[in-house]
Amino acid sequence: MASASTSKYNSHSLENESIKRTSRDGVNRDLTEAVPRLPGETLITDKEVIYICPFNGPIKGRVYITNYRLYLRSLETLSSHWRFEVDTCLFQDSSLILDVPLGVISRIEKMGGATSRGENSYGLDITCKDMRNLRFALKQEGHSRRDMFEILTRYAFPLAHSLPLFAFLNEEKFNVDGWTVYNPVEEYRRQGLPNHHWRITFINKCYELCDTYPALLVVPYRASDDDLRRVATFRSRNRIPVLSWIHPENKTVIVRCSQPLVGMSGKRNKDDEKYLDVIRETNKQISKLTIYDARPSVNAVANKATGGGYESDDAYHNAELFFLDIHNIHVMRESLKKVKDIVYPNVEESHWLSSLESTHWLEHIKLVLTGAIQVADKVSSGKSSVLVHCSDGWDRTAQLTSLAMLMLDSFYRSIEGFEILVQKEWISFGHKFASRIGHGDKNHTDADRSPIFLQFIDCVWQMSKQFPTAFEFNEQFLIIILDHLYSCRFGTFLFNCESARERQKVTERTVSLWSLINSNKEKFKNPFYTKEINRVLYPVASMRHLELWVNYYIRWNPRIKQQQPNPVEQRYMELLALRDEYIKRLEELQLANSAKLSDPPTSPSSPSQMMPHVQTHF
Amino acid sequence: MFSLKPPKPTFRSYLLPPPQTDDKINSEPKIKKLEPVLLPGEIVVNEVNFVRKCIATDTSQYDLWGKLICSNFKISFITDDPMPLQKFHYRNLLLGEHDVPLTCIEQIVTVNDHKRKQKVLGPNQKLKFNPTELIIYCKDFRIVRFRFDESGPESAKKVCLAIAHYSQPTDLQLLFAFEYVGKKYHNSGDTNKINGIPSGDGGGGGGGGNGAGGGSSQKTPLFETYSDWDREIKRTGASGWRVCSINEGYMISTCLPEYIVVPSSLADQDLKIFSHSFVGRRMPLWCWSHSNGSALVRMALIKDVLQQRKIDQRICNAITKSHPQRSDVYKSDLDKTLPNIQEVQAAFVKLKQLCVNEPFEETEEKWLSSLENTRWLEYVRAFLKHSAELVYMLESKHLSVVLQEEEGRDLSCCVASLVQVMLDPYFRTITGFQSLIQKEWVMAGYQFLDRCNHLKRSEKESPLFLLFLDATWQLLEQYPAAFEFSETYLAVLYDSTRISLFGTFLFNSPHQRVKQSTEFAISKNIQLGDEKGLKFPSVWDWSLQFTAKDRTLFHNPFYIGKSTPCIQNGSVKSFKRTKGIPGT
Repeated sequence: MASASTSKYNSHSLENESIKRTSRDGVNRDLTEAVPRLPGETLITDKEVIYICPFNGPIKGRVYITNYRLYLRSLETLSSHWRFEVDTCLFQDSSLILDVPLGVISRIEKMGGATSRGENSYGLDITCKDMRNLRFALKQEGHSRRDMFEILTRYAFPLAHSLPLFAFLNEEKFNVDGWTVYNPVEEYRRQGLPNHHWRITFINKCYELCDTYPALLVVPYRASDDDLRRVATFRSRNRIPVLSWIHPENKTVIVRCSQPLVGMSGKRNKDDEKYLDVIRETNKQISKLTIYDARPSVNAVANKATGGGYESDDAYHNAELFFLDIHNIHVMRESLKKVKDIVYPNVEESHWLSSLESTHWLEHIKLVLTGAIQVADKVSSGKSSVLVHCSDGWDRTAQLTSLAMLMLDSFYRSIEGFEILVQKEWISFGHKFASRIGHGDKNHTDADRSPIFLQFIDCVWQMSKQFPTAFEFNEQFLIIILDHLYSCRFGTFLFNCESARERQKVTERTVSLWSLINSNKEKFKNPFYTKEINRVLYPVASMRHLELWVNYYIRWNPRIKQQQPNPVEQRYMELLALRDEYIKRLEELQLANSAKLSDPPTSPSSPSQMMPHVQTHF
Repeated sequence: MFSLKPPKPTFRSYLLPPPQTDDKINSEPKIKKLEPVLLPGEIVVNEVNFVRKCIATDTSQYDLWGKLICSNFKISFITDDPMPLQKFHYRNLLLGEHDVPLTCIEQIVTVNDHKRKQKVLGPNQKLKFNPTELIIYCKDFRIVRFRFDESGPESAKKVCLAIAHYSQPTDLQLLFAFEYVGKKYHNSGDTNKINGIPSGDGGGGGGGGNGAGGGSSQKTPLFETYSDWDREIKRTGASGWRVCSINEGYMISTCLPEYIVVPSSLADQDLKIFSHSFVGRRMPLWCWSHSNGSALVRMALIKDVLQQRKIDQRICNAITKSHPQRSDVYKSDLDKTLPNIQEVQAAFVKLKQLCVNEPFEETEEKWLSSLENTRWLEYVRAFLKHSAELVYMLESKHLSVVLQEEEGRDLSCCVASLVQVMLDPYFRTITGFQSLIQKEWVMAGYQFLDRCNHLKRSEKESPLFLLFLDATWQLLEQYPAAFEFSETYLAVLYDSTRISLFGTFLFNSPHQRVKQSTEFAISKNIQLGDEKGLKFPSVWDWSLQFTAKDRTLFHNPFYIGKSTPCIQNGSVKSFKRTKGIPGT
């Protein structure tokens, strides 16, 4: 984990301590160079390089490396033809700008040697986590790339060099505090919990029951804390079944956990069996508990060899088990790699659709969505409580519960609701962000890395495409979340679980991503959003409707990018303003109307309506 | 031992909402007076009661009971049962929810379960068994199924035969539009300027009349008159071009409009002489001019080999002379660069096969590669890409572009329209888009009758117009702020090509409309007066089909008007799979 020294650490650059000035947007701008800087960001070095743009060829520029970002400004102004091709927002004063948080870097390689021939054959090749590569060529004389390589390695992978992640150095201030967005007690209260059947327990207050679970858990009222401890022994990594969501009307629940430790011998555990029965009994409408095992059945069987397994028929009489056929983190990682192969730097044009099909990415999206639809449908229409697990219950399980909750509960489709959903089902329940993303870690081949959260956001995007009025947020909101999933500018996605975050005092020492977003909400709002309370969304999880998220996966390619972001954003703003105006006018009319109604003193039947209008009767 | 329960291969929510617990299946056929809504001139030919309309393929729980009617315009299923599943956001005023216009029918299949017999019904055919089921394959990708288990076997058979007969007419004048418009003329008596279409607030939106754009009050120029062309010249600021009237009365060519725009330097006399050398006597037609003076021109091939060089040279010189900078002409041979109409048709047939006929689960697995194999998107891309290249010639190279095609009536329509949609924001408005279709398709002699195959005998069927709408949809997806109209508008527009009430998409050329309708008028004793042929209702009079409220769905909320820059040059990539297939 990060050695989190709070002391202001010294920059390694020698002469670059130029005067800084805080501009209105809170970003320091270097007076001489105009490199954007965050409070707490320091310039380390700068160097003249050739940026080998995969779309427009080599271009001379100066690269600036800070402890947060790599920033490149081209020295040549581009010909108008180039500017035509390259996305306009990359430009300032007709020079090309690259602005890449170092957290995005997964691998830095040297290309060519001191003696390699050919133009621009000597330099660095940087692989990024966000579907792109950056290549810089340097002069061959005097090992000119050595210090750039070393500095980049140092600051892109601070954990390997006993340096803190940038989030711990970031001194940004926002007028809202994103850390207060999620309060578990409040969220459970919103769901109507605790109630007769479900209670809040603090058994995990010091993370003793389960070190990857949150401190606060909701469990059946009839299960004692001792019961919970006994069940924990039979669940992988002690991740016992706990409540994620309760249906406001039929009171059926979504419960999440890890696999039971059945093993080769087919072990049973009376406490676990009883505990599941207690969960089942909280719902009187259906005599069975439905268990969704996210894995393909073959994998579930194979897990027995390592001590895991699934709930057998014999042991769990009152449960029905279904496998959802979702593959593991390794399959997903390889699939995304294939997506990158066909979109970066060049889009595979001649057989685009069959190439896309062969990556299986959309097929995986389909399976995840189909699984979540089944969970949501079971709870909503089937009136059955549902238990969801995979192996450890922190990857596929998080995908399924959070997507099902998004389908069932319109609250999570608002900006703050979605933040709460992510904070709850992903961050607090121990999706291993640190391992899956590899924040500040140089081991790019780590088998623990996998785009599980990205896949979830993709599913959300697919839903927002199919229900354009159901979500308060727009595509930019999802993209900014993904950008800061890697950037290490905020503490939100750092570390693997709540206990680790607490040890590192993340909420005190870092800024939350939600602070940035919530202080500038308008930018992330969908103008077509219409609030609906009780509508369950069932997306169509068919290949006929799923699409590749071009605006994310192929956004670096200027020829593929949505070609007119600006007019659409402008129109968004216009529509939002228009909507606000209508809402205001509606309120005024309602007010006028209620004033009319309440004007004759003989209508005291609606006191609440009179409230906004102060009457002065004598 | 525990037995593994494999996951269900499919999940029903792909298609259907969760099953309702309280089944409201009407097991008893209702006996009720169910009356069809008929248009002027529409008559019921045959009908049968106690028909069950099948809704879902795997269950009968959503089926509806009612009466099946065949008229000379449509087949109509009349029921009191509410539509159980999908509801549309808009309703066509001419058609009920379950109606199919006869011109929309592709194939009629009758089935007898008990005898295990099945027959595709052509016109004037005999049926040796009593059908228990009727399956109608529609051109708009619908499949409609009726069961006759409870109906009188003879009347069921009669209805099937009637549908087969009336949906496959032997003559153009048997299409319903003639009956309808004839009735209008008779009803209106002396007041021949109004066709008395009841629901239309635009009044006589005739083939040559004033059709209002959806929701917009602007008139759509139809390019039937001298002044429409003249205005277009002025609108585009084209200098060096003039309206030429030598084809008045279709004296030169029967597949050109009466008025065409030509280089000012070419005299009428020269054009008359040149015209003989062109296929179909189709002289060069001006389409549009860029503000930099570059013109877009379309023309047929010169068949006269001896004259070819000379005429070609003369025309190119004239076009160059009309360019303010005297720029050269860039010639694009569309027959060599684009798929031909047979290939487009073959791709469309495969696409339809994939979307409609093949089992859902089988196609689901290999959906993307199957879609690719139809080549439909590849062809859409080819048209867009080529058009974008021509845009580059016109806009950046300042060259005038001449589209060459054997007859100049198919690929040229599509390419000329796409180039203009890309370059001129006016054509991205509803009125502008409609005027573009008038200019480059209807008046330029796109053979709607043959290509849409309204008479179902044509070997020349090809969905080029649909391909154009699809390409426009692709542009709309890529430039959501640049278009005034929506996806709904495009879908509804395509559906309208299947309603044989409007004159717009009924004929192979404007001349054919005049000729056929004059013959019809004489045979029905209709006085035409000064009019050139009957005034059929125009598709652009959208009030005939949709209420003002429904027409608001034609508008794209993202549209930001004329401030949008032109669609840039550059290869058009990143294709969406075609989802919004027109029709239901």
